Amino acid sequence: MKMAVFWGCCILTNQYAYEMSLRQVLPTFDIELVDLPEAICCGDPIKSVNNFSASYLAARALSLANLTGLEDLLVPCNRCHFTISETKKTIENNTELGQKILGLLKEEDLEYNANIKMWHTIDLLHDYVGLKKIKKAVTKPLKGLKVASHVGCQIIRYSDLGRVDDAENPKKLDELINTLGAEAVDYPEKLDCCGAALLRSHPDSALSLAGSKLKALQSLPADGMVVSCPECQLMFDAKQKDAGTTVGAKLNVPVVYYTQLLGLALGIDEKKLGLELNQSPVDQLQAKICA
Amino acid sequence: MGLSDLMSMAKPNIEARDKILARISGKELVNCFQCIKCTSGCTALKLLELKPHEIIKLVNLGFVDELPSSDIIWTCVTCLKCVQRCPQKASPYHVIIALRNLAVEKEAKVPERYLKAVSQILETGQVDTYQKIVTRKMETVDRESLKLPKICPPKESFQVVFMKTMEEKTA
Amino acid sequence: MTRIGVYVCHCGLNIAGVVDVVKVAEYAKTLPDVVVSKHYTYMCSEPGQRMIQEDIGNKKLDRVVIATCSPRMHEETFRRAVAEARLNSYLTEIVNLREQVSWAHTHEPEKATEKAKALVRMGVARSRLLEPLEKRRVSVEKSVLVVGGGIAGIQASLDLANAGFPVYLIEKAPSIGGRMAQLDKTFPTLDCSACILTPKMVDVAKQPNITMLTNAQITDVKGFVGNYEVTILKKPRYVDEKKCVGCEVCEQVCPVKVSDVFNENLKQKHAISIYSTHAVPNVAIINPDHCLRLKYDKGVCGKCQEACEAKAIDFEEKPETVHVKVGGVILAVGSEVFNALQMAELGYGRFKNVISNIEFERISDASGPTGGKILSPKNGKTPKTMAFIQCVGSRDKRFHEYCCRVGCMVTLKQAILAREKIRENVKIYICYIDIRAFGKGYDEFYRRARDMDIDFVAGLPSEIHESSDGSLYFDVFDKGTNKLLQIRTDLVVLGTGLVPNKDLANISALLHASRSADGFLLEAHPKLRPLESSAAGVFLAGACQGPKDIPDTVAQASGAAAKALDLLSHGEIELEPLKAMVDEDLCSGCKICASICPFLAIEMKTDIIEGKERSRAEVIEAMCQGCGFCSSACPTGAIKIQQYSSKQVMVQVDAALAESCAEGGK
Repeated sequence: MKMAVFWGCCILTNQYAYEMSLRQVLPTFDIELVDLPEAICCGDPIKSVNNFSASYLAARALSLANLTGLEDLLVPCNRCHFTISETKKTIENNTELGQKILGLLKEEDLEYNANIKMWHTIDLLHDYVGLKKIKKAVTKPLKGLKVASHVGCQIIRYSDLGRVDDAENPKKLDELINTLGAEAVDYPEKLDCCGAALLRSHPDSALSLAGSKLKALQSLPADGMVVSCPECQLMFDAKQKDAGTTVGAKLNVPVVYYTQLLGLALGIDEKKLGLELNQSPVDQLQAKICA
Repeated sequence: MGLSDLMSMAKPNIEARDKILARISGKELVNCFQCIKCTSGCTALKLLELKPHEIIKLVNLGFVDELPSSDIIWTCVTCLKCVQRCPQKASPYHVIIALRNLAVEKEAKVPERYLKAVSQILETGQVDTYQKIVTRKMETVDRESLKLPKICPPKESFQVVFMKTMEEKTA
Repeated sequence: MTRIGVYVCHCGLNIAGVVDVVKVAEYAKTLPDVVVSKHYTYMCSEPGQRMIQEDIGNKKLDRVVIATCSPRMHEETFRRAVAEARLNSYLTEIVNLREQVSWAHTHEPEKATEKAKALVRMGVARSRLLEPLEKRRVSVEKSVLVVGGGIAGIQASLDLANAGFPVYLIEKAPSIGGRMAQLDKTFPTLDCSACILTPKMVDVAKQPNITMLTNAQITDVKGFVGNYEVTILKKPRYVDEKKCVGCEVCEQVCPVKVSDVFNENLKQKHAISIYSTHAVPNVAIINPDHCLRLKYDKGVCGKCQEACEAKAIDFEEKPETVHVKVGGVILAVGSEVFNALQMAELGYGRFKNVISNIEFERISDASGPTGGKILSPKNGKTPKTMAFIQCVGSRDKRFHEYCCRVGCMVTLKQAILAREKIRENVKIYICYIDIRAFGKGYDEFYRRARDMDIDFVAGLPSEIHESSDGSLYFDVFDKGTNKLLQIRTDLVVLGTGLVPNKDLANISALLHASRSADGFLLEAHPKLRPLESSAAGVFLAGACQGPKDIPDTVAQASGAAAKALDLLSHGEIELEPLKAMVDEDLCSGCKICASICPFLAIEMKTDIIEGKERSRAEVIEAMCQGCGFCSSACPTGAIKIQQYSSKQVMVQVDAALAESCAEGGK
């Protein structure tokens, strides 16, 4: 099926591997991604400045999706997905602010469509495609590979908004990992935050949060970490070295996007999955797979 | 008559509190009975001493004025654990966002990156600039070299409407 | 010529604080047929009632309109006062100026006064058309059904039986005793629960007036107050209650293991077993889902039957249906404990050493799975540290908004018991929001706990984790010291609250006893009528009406028994005449009324008139609740609610619109 995709800013400007791996794996499951006519920010970075303005940006993203004529929208970033979900609620609860936003959209001849269903990578693969189909498509089962999943914060919280998985016991990403033949490992720090939101204002604290989690993960019998949000990947992968310095530990944890792991299991070439762009030592992970 | 803080001689500002309540479209904030769950589980507590229960209590009693100029409201990591677990749906996260908006309005100290984000979005529609990445194989790549689709920035009309939204002071 | 008296109540300031009662009384005087119009501070008081009675005599009133609070409050009071003055009590009309005016429009006094005048005008118009009615008497069956064999049901049954009335006590478990039988000690006296309960259980068994039906449930209820017909299903035990001596040899030879429900699944028992220690009746029961002989073919196993010297085992036993006729019902079905699996962040279900308070109770009980020793489920060792977490599932908009009332006292008790059993070799922490120790001796009990080196942390943790060595840890911020603490502990006991029994939906439907928003059974009035349900003749006792401790349960149970005695003692009861009545000449026998009556109070009767069969509706007065569905649906106007005929209602509508500028549709 065809579905529109809203990438946000992080993926388009530096987390290229997520975009590459998603574009590579989805055709296997007959999903064709349609880009939006314009690229804008979802509004999350300016929520703290003006929440209304941020809601407007999110609503604008939805109305750009409406221009494609499609009623399914993939939002692979956890934070974009949260921001747009909150805005959807504001508009659909028929609040005064919601009405104002609709009016502003009209000024650019843009329309809001309440029928647009939002997806994230996790529920698109787990609920729409399904574990069975994925297992069937796997050509290189990742036997013996143990990984720890980091699903993130804004994609599972807060439940009242309607998120893609249970907030206290999220299982979908683990099940997606297991269906590839690998084994998802449980650990006490599973629901801890990566700290991305503080990176630009309180970098030491942000890196400390990422570093502590990586340090804890390192002591597990796990070959690496799997994420599904570009901000989380930025912290654990691109910033791993800095995080290690901040917490005073030598960190050596391979961190990959789930879609990269999926791509490997589907037998797709590692270059096409952007694995060279990962800054963490993913070679050791790949070595384990090929062994 | 009424309440005053003997340390700072501040008095409650009920008007400011009601403004916050209006922004978070719900009265749940006043239902907080200080169970402290939010603070016990706050990601930003250990490193930055953020105590969500304290912020809620200050707002509830009307001691709003001291908050927008504080540093503490900028320490929230937005992990949403407090929203998820609060038994009274008081949502400290939403209160903190409202306080941050208030800080911007009052031109109190706002971390640079947030104001930068606004001008960036106005200019390009996005909050970051396209970066060149150095791979593990020491090659430099970007969207073009990776053959990723070209990105279209928003049309001019966007800037006009976006500026309008920035003038909106919610409530 | 009708002579109407209008009385406007101030209700202290409840009405007078918003409505100008003087103006309303003056206005009423201007209405036709009103010969006297007065206002007074409290019409329901003795001088108020006397005022009305004197006027009925002196001014020869034949209608009385009282503008006061809701009729649900004092309509009966005023009716009785009017009857004492020799005027038919149904010639009284109550106009609600409190709930419908002063309380609803507190901030608009002028408009409220206008509305009050309009309502009085309507009341006066209606009063002209009121008809004198008489209450009917029906006989009452002099026996009571008590549903639930916990301490509430036991107490109520004993009170009624000792007063000489037959009682059917029905319990769904194989033994009576309920939740109290599972407790080790009770707060604040630390009495041994079984020691104070079992004598009462034995009294029940010995009382000739009590018929105890265990392993049984209600399947159908017909009838009305004073005359209930209840169908009870007795599930088979496969063991003859009269023959079994409770020797437990069968249990020793049974090869099948099943989870022990009475011990909160902390240990296993056998497919044939006695349900609990101190069970009454002390008779074995076979679990048909696990017994090999009952599940599969004959000829399999049967070891228990071989071993039983009393020859009490009967694999052929069938379920038995029992019909009883009773005058009243007392619901005492108790409550359940919150399932903490719903709060996954606390680790219940994932970590073996996170347990609920009812599980701790079984561990602490000498007749429990560990023989009364406090041992951690994970490794069977005595914990060196214990942490209690309060308000699990309670005071929480995500689960149950109410406070469970007993959680604090239970935790204090369990902490004290742990200290007494393990002495100084255990560190005990209680994480709380508030400590609610409200009852007699309760705050002294709290002081006793503080005196025993039990530490109180003012704050709740957000999540609990398990480390690789099996110990549990969590962060908790303490309000008192402003410190973020980390507690490492062997055992975590969750203060899980009391929640409504799963069966309440079914019971509520069977008996027409409503439930409140929190899911418990609804009392007729929260302050003044806590023992009666919304259905006449159905009384409430114990935790099924709301979470409560044992003293309150026993008090309520005895109270419910007294209410039932009140119902039964006269041998007959009076029924309100505000019921449906059929005008046979107008009834076409279309059956619409019978098909929509929610109380099944309409029967179709067939007459033979001039050789032809004619169907007509007939109202079963005692079951009719006067709801009016039939009256509004009847196409010919044959069925009417007494005192609520179309004319009597329309005259109010006309009066309401009389002085307004409303114009009909053009």
